[in-house]
Amino acid sequence: MIALESVSKRYGPKTIIHDISFEVAKGEIVGFRGPNGAGKTTTMRMIAGYTTATSGKVSVAGYDMASQNEEAAKRLGYLPEHPPLYDVLEVTNYLRFVAKVKGIPRAAVRRELDRVIQACRLEAVTDKETYKLSKGYRQRLGLAQALLGDPEVLLLDEPTAGLDPGQIQETREVIRSFGENHAVLLSTHILPEATLICRRVAIINQGRLLAVDSPSGLQQASEKTNQVSLLVSGPADAIGDAIRSVDGVISVHARPNGTRGELLSVDCQVDNRDGVEAAIARVVAGRWSLHRLERQQPTLENIFLRYVGEGART
Amino acid sequence: MNGLMAIYQKELAMYFRSPIAYFVIAVFLLGTGYFFVYNIFLTGIGTMDQTFQNMGILLVTLVPILTMRLFSGEYSARTMELLATLPLRPWQIVIGKYLGAATMLLIMTLATGINLIPLFLYGNPEGSTIFAGYIGFFLLGLACVAIGQFFSALTQNQIVAALITVPVLLAFWFVGHLAAFQGSVWLRELFGHLSFAVHFGDFIRGLIRSEAVAFYLVVAAIALTLNASFLQWRR
Repeated sequence: MIALESVSKRYGPKTIIHDISFEVAKGEIVGFRGPNGAGKTTTMRMIAGYTTATSGKVSVAGYDMASQNEEAAKRLGYLPEHPPLYDVLEVTNYLRFVAKVKGIPRAAVRRELDRVIQACRLEAVTDKETYKLSKGYRQRLGLAQALLGDPEVLLLDEPTAGLDPGQIQETREVIRSFGENHAVLLSTHILPEATLICRRVAIINQGRLLAVDSPSGLQQASEKTNQVSLLVSGPADAIGDAIRSVDGVISVHARPNGTRGELLSVDCQVDNRDGVEAAIARVVAGRWSLHRLERQQPTLENIFLRYVGEGART
Repeated sequence: MNGLMAIYQKELAMYFRSPIAYFVIAVFLLGTGYFFVYNIFLTGIGTMDQTFQNMGILLVTLVPILTMRLFSGEYSARTMELLATLPLRPWQIVIGKYLGAATMLLIMTLATGINLIPLFLYGNPEGSTIFAGYIGFFLLGLACVAIGQFFSALTQNQIVAALITVPVLLAFWFVGHLAAFQGSVWLRELFGHLSFAVHFGDFIRGLIRSEAVAFYLVVAAIALTLNASFLQWRR
């Protein structure tokens, strides 16, 4: 439904997006994750047809965005990063305008408006001008306009930004039910969102796609290398050498602890053998004073940070 | 066609939901009324010649206020991202908006008709001359609106859009005066042809010349084409 083939975007000499390829199939919700400025919004805008790719091909529902923009736009619902609302229009009039542009038949407009108003819980504000709406309502109205006309493809840039926890859950449900028969690409800062409703997660940083996999797939890949963190007082070089001598340790990174200068924070990448952390503990505790030792779970947040960190170093 | 009509209706709805349209119409009608009363009572002759001249200048200064938000407002409210990703072609957006602003212009033009009531009641004006003047006035307005709309597409800032449009329109209005200083016939003719005021003068005298009609329409068409091309290029 959404397909990117070797897509790059340059502004002048600066390359913002480097050779990105991925697909989103029907019935699939894909989460798009990356730090600020990673290129999520630019990628979303290229898929939505707001900007064109410098090279490569973007297609939506089988239509090439470069040459069949209008056909693709008919099959696309898009919620940009900032909900695109006309301040002086009332909620119903705003939705009616979007419905008309999307070519929804006159007879079906009322029914369609009722559907999205109900799905996005906008019943209480239908007669209000949009400038009077709270941030949460603005966000939900933005989502409502994207849902109008039941598009085959839905692009949502930070759909839950500015919502309170209850609203986040409701919005998630709307997206989840929509995603059963449609293709949804959803960018988000919030990781639980990606874990809860997305079948796959695409991680992007500095315009490069670092990984596309299911949350559990990313987790499994990451479990092959686990992290053990220590807080210890003693000389960094000697401690590092001692830990490196333990069987199963892949790499060691020591740095002074930020809050207590005499202490050392040590992060070790270890393989998934049992007892590695116990061996580290024995070696360290025998010669220096060990204050803390923990094996970190490979949560999706840690996996994301690791990918982004590695991406930044390469 | 649906998309174009939706844009048109949205533009009209937005004009009447903001104070700007009311302000422009009020200032225009007050100004026109003042000029009308002043000119008629000063000369004692029942013609609209001088009043049309004054209306033309007033229009040239007020149109930028009417057109400044057409695209700048969309950029600053970030609604351009919606328009550009809906199934709309750039020309549909451009024409829809243009028709919205042209409707405001038509309302302004028709509203000045109230001045004609005493003129026809107590004087003996030439109806056909006044009619030609109104045709010229509306065509002049159409060209000005298209130019203002184009400049609005170039910037996010509505004030900047208006500030660029005013001198450009004034230049089109006054360029005819430069003709008097030119030695070469070619330049004299060029400045005369480019002048909004010179062509408008024909209409005020009761002449609907196809050349003058075509001039305003061509200016509007060029501005609208540039506008649509700019939107396409922006992608």
